[in-house]
Amino acid sequence: MSKEPPTPTGIRLPKALPLDSESEDLLGPVQEVPDMSLSPLPPLVLPSAGTLLDFPTQDEALSGLTPAQLYDMNQDLYYDSVPTRALIDAVAPMSELRSEYENGSAAFVKEIDWLVANGYTYVRRTRGDGDCFYRSLGFAYIDRLLSLPQPARDTAVATALSLLDGHPAILDGAGIERLVYEDYYDLLKELVEKAGKGMRQEELLETFQTPENSNAVVLYLRLLTSAQIRLNRDNYEGFLVHPDTKELMSVDSFTANVVQAMGKEADNVEIDALSHVLQLDLDLAYLNGVRQDGVDFIPFRNASNKDDAPLVLLYRPGHYDILVKQ
Amino acid sequence: MASISSRRLAKELREIQAEGCPVGISLVEANDFSKWVFTIQVMGDSLYQDEVHTLQFRFDPQYPISSPAVQFVVTDGKQAPIHPHVYSNGHICASILGNEWSPVLSVIAVCVTLQSMLASCKKKERPADNDRYVKHAPENPKKTLFHYDDDTV
Repeated sequence: MSKEPPTPTGIRLPKALPLDSESEDLLGPVQEVPDMSLSPLPPLVLPSAGTLLDFPTQDEALSGLTPAQLYDMNQDLYYDSVPTRALIDAVAPMSELRSEYENGSAAFVKEIDWLVANGYTYVRRTRGDGDCFYRSLGFAYIDRLLSLPQPARDTAVATALSLLDGHPAILDGAGIERLVYEDYYDLLKELVEKAGKGMRQEELLETFQTPENSNAVVLYLRLLTSAQIRLNRDNYEGFLVHPDTKELMSVDSFTANVVQAMGKEADNVEIDALSHVLQLDLDLAYLNGVRQDGVDFIPFRNASNKDDAPLVLLYRPGHYDILVKQ
Repeated sequence: MASISSRRLAKELREIQAEGCPVGISLVEANDFSKWVFTIQVMGDSLYQDEVHTLQFRFDPQYPISSPAVQFVVTDGKQAPIHPHVYSNGHICASILGNEWSPVLSVIAVCVTLQSMLASCKKKERPADNDRYVKHAPENPKKTLFHYDDDTV
């Protein structure tokens, strides 16, 4: 925990603007640059250390407070650290997301417009709590079953259930105790069964907005991901890096501390592993603010039934939401 | 239907009752699914020879997704072991109780980890910031954001 992230190397210098670029016009006529060698800058006067450090120390500042005030302060800090967005939201038009970028990045706005033009007109947003990938995927997985027309739904539910029957063997094989996974397994199975019986989407949303159930699905998917990586360690070893320090990690330490721990964000490796074990097709629409003429879709292809339309998640660096196509 | 949390704790409790606790650990109290108490002792050669400490677990309805609040009991004449990661108010700075908690861990796994944390201690001393921390510490150790800076003790 004490190691510093490695210092970035090879930082790119800002590109020099060509003389005939548009930005020159924006700046107006070229200003005459004063010759620095003739008029030296006035000496810089720094404030003395005394004035800079004239703050009460934290201890002194806190000692004036009553225990009750300290307690409240602590509580506020604790709750402030928890974001307030619903764990997963109702669908919202993309214009809502767009409006958040309108005063900021024009590149992001262009990418959002591209998605809308290509039919992705709605987004279902999730809380940015580090579990957003698993939560989005869990929701989208069940939601897909709900939205299929019959008889495709019955087939898809039957396939999902038979796949679920194989999960205990996978989890046991990876050394994950039954005691740990069985309640979460039962819950996911129940959701798939309910989907087969025509559960309404509102009920699914309610389930995913209730922390106990929602986090149960997240944890179950984390355990499955962990099992897939442990059982196929040759495929994943060498690609497992610590999400903060980017240091290479062993399979055991990565699965224990990054995959199985709640609140740790998922990256390519986890997405690949989970889409394998759930045998599904998934696209990540990658909004990176770099490409402006389109959006890259990163494909994960593991479905046995090639007729299934892939689930589509929206990825912005550090966060996953669900994209909904009209 | 009982919550996932109480179902899981019921299973852990049945396992403890059926198989017993590991050597040096014993269950003192588990009357409900909100608070359990254990005693913990380091076996064999260690700096904590003949010391018996009391460890308290508190569970919220999100257990085991959310970690238990674990601390040494320091009331009724009981004391927290003197250790560089244990504050005199009983709070423990251990990553598995904080950012490295994982639902695959269990109450017994935590007891065993803390037992071995004591067993491997080289020098009996309080954390450097003990007085300052204890003065301002919240009642629940889970509300403290510990900085896990030392993996060697």
